[in-house]
Amino acid sequence: MNKLSATQLEKRIIWISLAFAVVLLGLSALAINLFHVGLPTCLTDIKPFQKGELIAHSPTQYELHYVARMWKFEPEDITVPAGSTVDIYLSAADVTHGLILLGTNLNLMAVPGVVNYARVKFDKPRVYHLLCHEFCGTGHDQMAAELHVVDMATFAAKPSPPPKAEPTHPGYKLLDANLCTTCHSLDGQPGIGPTFKGLYGRTEKLRDGSSVIVNDAFIREKILHPEAKIVAGRFEQEMPKTELAPEEIEEIVEYIQTLK
Amino acid sequence: MILIEIIFPMVLLILGIYHGLMQVLYRAGMIHRSKFLGLDYFQGLTLHGVVNAIVFTTFFAVAFGYVIVRYYLRRPLNMKVAWLSFGMMIVGTLLAAAAILSGKATVLYTFYPPLRAHPAFYIGVVLLVVGSWIAFFNWLPPYFAWKREHPGEKVPLAVVGIFAAFIVWLIATTPVAIEVIFLLIPWSMGWVATVNVPLARMLFWFFGHPLVYFWLLPAYVMYYTMLPKLAGGKLFSDFAGRLTFLWLVLYSAPVGIHHQFTEPGISSTWKFVHAFFTMLVAIPSFVTAFTLAASMENGGRAQGGRGLLGWWTKLPYIDKDRWLFSYLFSGLMIFIFGGASGVINASYNLDTVVHNTSWLPAHFHQTIAGPVFLAYIGMSLFLVATLTGKEIKFKALNVWAPYVWAVGIMIFSTGLFIGGAGGEPRRTNMGMSYTDPQSHLYHADWGYAKMLGSVGGTIMTIAALMFFIVFFATLFGKRKEQGALELIVSEPYHDERVPAVQSFTPWLAGAALLLVIAYAPPITQTIRSNFPGAPPYSQDNPRPIGSTRNP
Repeated sequence: MNKLSATQLEKRIIWISLAFAVVLLGLSALAINLFHVGLPTCLTDIKPFQKGELIAHSPTQYELHYVARMWKFEPEDITVPAGSTVDIYLSAADVTHGLILLGTNLNLMAVPGVVNYARVKFDKPRVYHLLCHEFCGTGHDQMAAELHVVDMATFAAKPSPPPKAEPTHPGYKLLDANLCTTCHSLDGQPGIGPTFKGLYGRTEKLRDGSSVIVNDAFIREKILHPEAKIVAGRFEQEMPKTELAPEEIEEIVEYIQTLK
Repeated sequence: MILIEIIFPMVLLILGIYHGLMQVLYRAGMIHRSKFLGLDYFQGLTLHGVVNAIVFTTFFAVAFGYVIVRYYLRRPLNMKVAWLSFGMMIVGTLLAAAAILSGKATVLYTFYPPLRAHPAFYIGVVLLVVGSWIAFFNWLPPYFAWKREHPGEKVPLAVVGIFAAFIVWLIATTPVAIEVIFLLIPWSMGWVATVNVPLARMLFWFFGHPLVYFWLLPAYVMYYTMLPKLAGGKLFSDFAGRLTFLWLVLYSAPVGIHHQFTEPGISSTWKFVHAFFTMLVAIPSFVTAFTLAASMENGGRAQGGRGLLGWWTKLPYIDKDRWLFSYLFSGLMIFIFGGASGVINASYNLDTVVHNTSWLPAHFHQTIAGPVFLAYIGMSLFLVATLTGKEIKFKALNVWAPYVWAVGIMIFSTGLFIGGAGGEPRRTNMGMSYTDPQSHLYHADWGYAKMLGSVGGTIMTIAALMFFIVFFATLFGKRKEQGALELIVSEPYHDERVPAVQSFTPWLAGAALLLVIAYAPPITQTIRSNFPGAPPYSQDNPRPIGSTRNP
């Protein structure tokens, strides 16, 4: 190869790279117009919603409000029939989160203060997993949810169960309002902290090797001075302090006693 | 001082690489814990990112800038200013490191609000950045003096490259300095209650993309001014080098929104504009690929290579005396894949498949941990040896280390690419859930990709160990001769003289114009949209910082 041809090649490569860029952009524009593979563009000034829900507009048209919060999606588990078009709105209740619906092109950031939006059409019955893909704190690795697509006949025969009635116990209200239920489940599910179910009266191992019986005094100490005794667990996480009045703590203890 | 600026980050780098290894082990499900040896997964990830990508790179670029300015311009520098810059950078780094190690700044290297770091972290970052600006300002008087004394002469190519790097750095760090000083520090100190998160994110990515060209440009300086000579030949085109450097000044910044494609609060029109500019910034990489291949061909032929591919066999791949070639060459090979995956990330539609999956770390490890990292550590070793007059120890280990690294990174990123295309999230301690068979969230099909990731990561750590052995053995070895400032300098094959690339001024004006076009409307939208502000949070509490109960 002589130097002349190398210089000609140099010119050629500049044209090839320019053509490459133009082709890529063209394909991109084509994908937007033909296949509707676009990007979110939602710009709103409204205060983002704080409650997650699925709203049915027709048997095949849904509006899904996802709230991403430390460290779960609300609603956690929903069912829609195959053939549905779902308008997904996403807001963040605390820090920045992400949402990826595995097996689809749905990939959204949840940014505090703004609502994100995308439309997805679900053609075939399938279980979809969605998870958080932006670091949002200790429980980030546990932040996942499911979306079930079932065929129309199944869906019509067994519509999604009505939302579970929330417990009315004042102790529950305190646990819920102070976000204790983020880490401690009520139904035995493992979490970042031990589940409240069957907790009262149980013997727990502490990180220093000793053990303690969960009673009124321990729960009170744990709420007011969480750093004093740390229960051993996979998450080496200290519980945040919560300043509650003595009578409020009594209500919480009373409620935990009912979770057998 | 140049020596300390190389050795100090090198010591930190050991810590940074240790945490890189820990990441792959956690993620592969070999560790099912949130902490190991007292450090939390995300604390380790913050250290890995800040040390390897911000501290090591900034220190090296400043040290390399001093070397280039002293060597090519041959004029004294104001040492008081140089020491001031040095002191600010060291103090800043120590402040940020203290905040991270004490667990008060587990915010990752992107420090997205509303996760809040201790003010010491933000102040440390500002000191490091401003310290590096001062170093650059200190190079301006010698530059202008040189130009006065050499009217009509071309500025040496390496000087153009390193100045381009620091101009890109100034463009990049101004928005992030505004973010940190006006939004994050007052909010972190508690002087204001809330922060505009979309605005902070936009300012961060206004910084985050030109940042990568600030990393890349010093490596490009080595590629254009040293690699051809090491290969035994000449630089194919001097013009191509100048055009590449100046093109990066022009286009590196108005592209940041391609990191924010999947976000709300930015209109898709501006996302498309940034996607378009991003494709234009790929052009200098094509120019570079061509020019360097042509320069190496020139070297291979000068050493007797014949035929279409014969020259490939004549290159000094494992020549112990021209060992720097192995660092630059293996980095370049990795960069081919890093560049190609970058085009995928930045293309408007494909990003929704890979955004925030492990595809992204695969891409940026093939760029920053490929060509940039290998060029930086190779040049660090070269400078330490020549400045102190010491001979390289363990020469075989030295010449093979970059190839071992290259094999490691290719395996590592193949694993991350496969996982990422399947939706595997980045920045996630997967050993706690998705790669833990005990967990109800277990994803069996991610195991294979994670296995590749951890094998590759382990090989990379071995290569890094090989390098550290050579580096410290050389540093503490006996002095052979008087140390001196020597560099490898390639001659140009085509020494064109194109007026358009002889001055920074038109390119700076163009860059300013493009920045206004690309960023003024979306930033205005973000400020005027009046998004509700966010209070600060820590990583371990779902309630805002300072609130001990909810009503």
